[in-house]
Amino acid sequence: MTTKKRERLDVIRDIISTIKENRQIKPTRLLYASNLSPQMFKEYINELIEKKFIKLDVDGKDKKSFSLTKKGSDFLQEYKVIESFIENFGL
Amino acid sequence: MSLTSLIIDNRWVLEVLYAFVISAICMAIVFKTDKLYKISLHKGIRYFRNVFFFYGIAFIARYIFGVLSDSAFEYVLFAKVAFEYFIVMAGFFLLYSLIWRKFESQKTHYFTSLFNSKVAIFHLMALIIAVLDVLWGAYDFMFYSQIIVFVFASIISYNNYIKNGKERKFLKFSFLAMILGLSAWILNLVTEMYLSWSHKALFGIGLINIAFFFLFLYGVIKITNSTK
Repeated sequence: MTTKKRERLDVIRDIISTIKENRQIKPTRLLYASNLSPQMFKEYINELIEKKFIKLDVDGKDKKSFSLTKKGSDFLQEYKVIESFIENFGL
Repeated sequence: MSLTSLIIDNRWVLEVLYAFVISAICMAIVFKTDKLYKISLHKGIRYFRNVFFFYGIAFIARYIFGVLSDSAFEYVLFAKVAFEYFIVMAGFFLLYSLIWRKFESQKTHYFTSLFNSKVAIFHLMALIIAVLDVLWGAYDFMFYSQIIVFVFASIISYNNYIKNGKERKFLKFSFLAMILGLSAWILNLVTEMYLSWSHKALFGIGLINIAFFFLFLYGVIKITNSTK
């Protein structure tokens, strides 16, 4: 049986959803949850930080975690529209 | 007053109004889809946006340069070439938006989707078609090319509807839009070949075209508003 390859948009949705569910999540846990290679994970995370969808928080003990921004939260809403648009027009 | 004389008497007003309505619809679709593209960076949405960008430009080119300017030969010639070039490009992008996955991946990045190595062939073909029609003094190459494009687009849309029509309600309208587009191009050809550009027939084709664009606008607005 073959599984459908996740598209870029699905990967972004998965990462953002995981962060939203956890409110704050450590990089290692997010890497496992994302099911991506470390290299790909880094690329996606950098893009999401650059686009201000997520932010990297560092606490007093120098521990890192990711959290969602308002823009990231808005994207999850928009994602449904985008998915519906692509499928309804067969794009 | 008969319908024919009403159309003839108000031909320029109707044509400008027609161009304005279609250009406005296209601009609204481009604006809406561009927002979705900027969030998603999805290539299908990008090519879909380009379809209406080119349709909009085509109608602006034809009527701004052709109808609103004086009827000097060079203006008319430029308007004809520009209109044909842009409208043929729009048709090619319409088909490509449905089949782009077969030719490129989501990862392939182009600085612009309007002109790159993948779509360069469209520009070349559109230019050849527009120039050949000017040389032949007809619209045959444009009509035949667009009939072929819409036959394929209709088949693909029908397959999409059969596969996912139950879950995605707009697929049937998308298929209907393709059929309307195909009908309009066939009627254009018939009007040229057998009806000596009958005003009544052209008026009917105009109405079909408006329905085609409104159907897409309806889908874009419905989908972008309903799932929020």
